[in-house]
Amino acid sequence: MALTSEKITFWFGCNMLRHAEMIRLSMLLLEKAGYDVTAAGGPGYCCGTPHDATPKAASTMAQRTVGRFNEAAATEGRSTVVTWCPSCHIHMADIMAPGNPVQFDVAHVTEMLAAAGDRLAPLFKREVKRRVLLHRHHGFNSHVPVNDRVAALLGRIPGLEIVEGAPAGGHMCSSLAAVKGALATAVSATWDEAAAAKCDTVASIFHSCHREFVALEGRDGIGVRNWVHLVAEAMGLDAGDAYLGWRTGGAPDISAIERAGAENYGRLVEPELRKAPPVPAK
Amino acid sequence: MTRMPDATAPTSQAYLAAAGPEFAALCTACGKCFDACPLVDSIGLRGADATAVTGGLAQLARGETGPDATVAWVGACGKSGLCIAACPQRDRGLNAMMLVRIARQQAIVTTKQLAAKHDPAAFPRVKTFARLQLTDEEQKTWL
Repeated sequence: MALTSEKITFWFGCNMLRHAEMIRLSMLLLEKAGYDVTAAGGPGYCCGTPHDATPKAASTMAQRTVGRFNEAAATEGRSTVVTWCPSCHIHMADIMAPGNPVQFDVAHVTEMLAAAGDRLAPLFKREVKRRVLLHRHHGFNSHVPVNDRVAALLGRIPGLEIVEGAPAGGHMCSSLAAVKGALATAVSATWDEAAAAKCDTVASIFHSCHREFVALEGRDGIGVRNWVHLVAEAMGLDAGDAYLGWRTGGAPDISAIERAGAENYGRLVEPELRKAPPVPAK
Repeated sequence: MTRMPDATAPTSQAYLAAAGPEFAALCTACGKCFDACPLVDSIGLRGADATAVTGGLAQLARGETGPDATVAWVGACGKSGLCIAACPQRDRGLNAMMLVRIARQQAIVTTKQLAAKHDPAAFPRVKTFARLQLTDEEQKTWL
């Protein structure tokens, strides 16, 4: 596969800001696949999908974000926007683009990396001896066959065994939170399936699932990784997971908390890190 | 790659305002989208009259009050997407998941049958996470 040197924007969304290393690793993998990558995300690039209740505000956000990507396409030649978040991707295809002319293509990061599998596979030099239950959802496969793409990528890792779990409803775990009991049911089903299949790892595809599962880290002898962590392990890269460490009793170092603002940390972040797991211990 | 549709309206809000009645006109209320939805079990509606529930989609999408069961169903939508392929009107241009989404939005904004769920701390929270982890350069160039 020839180097593409195609210029792309990695649009990681808002909530991925909890997982800085996933952003950095995704960018690194896209670079290894031959792309010239910049990243964009956070509220300044919000798609508008969380704001269905305020259609005008959502529409304004959509217009602003499409405008920024159009400008990057026009001025920097960044002609492809590569998504991580399925909500952003669906919103772009179904609502943003029909109301705003787009001058770029849209692809999901797993499509790009799976397509570059022949280029990436030789970089997977380390065995990753894990038996992995891949946590999947039905949703988003209407737009991108993400479950298959992640399985294809992980299937290239030497030593790694994949067990594909039964897909849960919704497009990622956060989409189930509004339905009483649905999130706990989905998390329990995956975890029980992993234990029954004697897996030592549950792998998430999306960030919102990841932040639910990490609260169960170590239970039943099962660890939690995102697919991008597993790829990093295979490449011998640092595959640390800060959010997992914080969610399981750790905390950011004091200088980071000071940089973020101690009051903001205590009011906005710490309650999330200390909340009860989605499934109580048996 | 996901093919992006051509813009058919000047804004997303204008697109949704036009798409609601258009999708509603295509829907035959056959019930197949409801039957395909995995979240129907989670809200205790499995066994409900699927044609009656889906009959309410068009009402809501036009901004009219819908049946309680329809409101409960659209309120639970998690974008599983199985409704899209299940819809026999798909080839005629009906995106069932979008119809459900528009119906849900109308139930919040117009008919007020669903409460809006908005977390005002969501953006401040992710900004705080960003400051915890990103370098100044990353914040400057990414956000």
